[in-house]
Amino acid sequence: MKLVGDLLKRFTRMLAIVLLVVIGSTVLVRFAPGYFSDVREMDPRYARSARAELSVESARSNAIIPLLSAEVGGWLRGNAGISRQYDVPVLDLILPRLAVTGSLMLRSIALAWTLALCASLLSSAGPHPSLLWQMPATLLLAIPTAAMATMCLLAGSGGPVLVMSLLLAARDFKFLDRILRKTWLDPHLLYARTQGIGVTRLIRAHILPSIASQLSALATLSIVTALGALAPVEVIFNVPGVGQLAWSAALNRDLPVLLTVTMLMALAVTFAGVISDRPAEWKNA
Amino acid sequence: MTFAHLARWLLTGLVLFAFVVLLVSRNSYSNQDRESPLAGASVLHPAGTDALGRDRLVRAAFALLLSTGGAVTASAVTTAAAAGVGTLAAFGPASVGWLAMLVCDVFLALPWLFLLMMVRSALPLTTSPANSAAITFLVLAALGWPACARAVYRGALGLRKAEWALQARAGGLRSGQTFRYALPNLLSLLLPQFLISIPAFVIAEANLGALGLGIGEPLPSWGGMLLELDNSALLVQTRWVYLPVALLILMLLLLEALVAEV
Repeated sequence: MKLVGDLLKRFTRMLAIVLLVVIGSTVLVRFAPGYFSDVREMDPRYARSARAELSVESARSNAIIPLLSAEVGGWLRGNAGISRQYDVPVLDLILPRLAVTGSLMLRSIALAWTLALCASLLSSAGPHPSLLWQMPATLLLAIPTAAMATMCLLAGSGGPVLVMSLLLAARDFKFLDRILRKTWLDPHLLYARTQGIGVTRLIRAHILPSIASQLSALATLSIVTALGALAPVEVIFNVPGVGQLAWSAALNRDLPVLLTVTMLMALAVTFAGVISDRPAEWKNA
Repeated sequence: MTFAHLARWLLTGLVLFAFVVLLVSRNSYSNQDRESPLAGASVLHPAGTDALGRDRLVRAAFALLLSTGGAVTASAVTTAAAAGVGTLAAFGPASVGWLAMLVCDVFLALPWLFLLMMVRSALPLTTSPANSAAITFLVLAALGWPACARAVYRGALGLRKAEWALQARAGGLRSGQTFRYALPNLLSLLLPQFLISIPAFVIAEANLGALGLGIGEPLPSWGGMLLELDNSALLVQTRWVYLPVALLILMLLLLEALVAEV
């Protein structure tokens, strides 16, 4: 019963945070000094129509409450509003892109975790942190995502999955190496090693269960990092995903699209946080 | 000499070198040599010129100083804000602490680069280059504090429960007065946060610039110079186009080495 109450409390907090994110984003974008500006205003051929559209938008979104209710109404109708930029229902834009982004993220996270876990297991087995493992990870962390993506594009090898995997793997490796190095020195593990228990069994039966909570926290961090890297990677590699759509919506002040993407991202991040930060009862169960 | 010492010296040398380049060079970052666009290395332009005939070395030096100066300032602002919010949340009434951490959670519920992109793009299209640089780093500082504030909050909460703090409160010291004594004890936490934020802000500025949302032209920035790499025709003509990326990575590596030491 306590577990259910705890979970309910967490989900309520999660929903409250998502709601606050949506309200905050709406206020931020709507009342930003550049909301009523459009690049087409600079082109004499489109300036007149752009200004007419902006004045309609200005009348529509004059106050924050009607604007928010219009957006919420869009979600209740099941189309999440109409995109200002493309003039189509937002859900029609987002749903096909969600599959692309989801697949990109899943493949990247899986590859990154495999790389990071293998590298950290090998690296942590040694007595001291080895430059052989640490240097490539540090180098990868020092390269901005956009620069790495551009270089991959120029080299003609490696795609969005590789760029995101390398970025995530470098970050995850640093954490995993530190955690594993500490775990290997636990007295019961040292004793087990002296008794001749095999490394595979030690990892499977002792190490992985003891670092499970840290691993789940790291998984959350991986999701947040991957979501953060989405926009530059998808824009540079021209992947038709949610990151590219968010970038285009941000450039064109497309509030309905921006709000839906914001809500999806906030939901993903907070949900991942709830999952990783499990209540004690859940762990025991 | 440790690697961090070496990194500190190299970083100082790099910044000094950038200053010297700007002082000695006869070209400014926006001067266009119309006679020699995309020129190779010469006495007048030691690292060649870009597509508009602007000196690449001067632009890279200026970008390095702008990025370092901006990131250090933004990091100082962020750390100060985080110190204020974190300690206020820990030493203030429970409701203030709860509210402060809720605000942090709201900020942290969105990936940082996405939030930056949203805020930066909401600014007017007609912002001047100098203003766009100031705004970019101001936005970085304004959005970078929640993660740091959470760490400070945890540290400050530990200090609040420390024996000396309990004794001080029992002796009649108010929370505000205890806070004064707690702040110096948080320096060991704030310094790493300050140093960690610097490379993070440099990377964020470069990523924003590469998305076309960073510092406006003709002011040189890492992100703006990364955009040059999109032009494959340009890459065939000169290898000097890779200079800014190489300098950026070198600078970030040195910063990472400094952070690793703390």
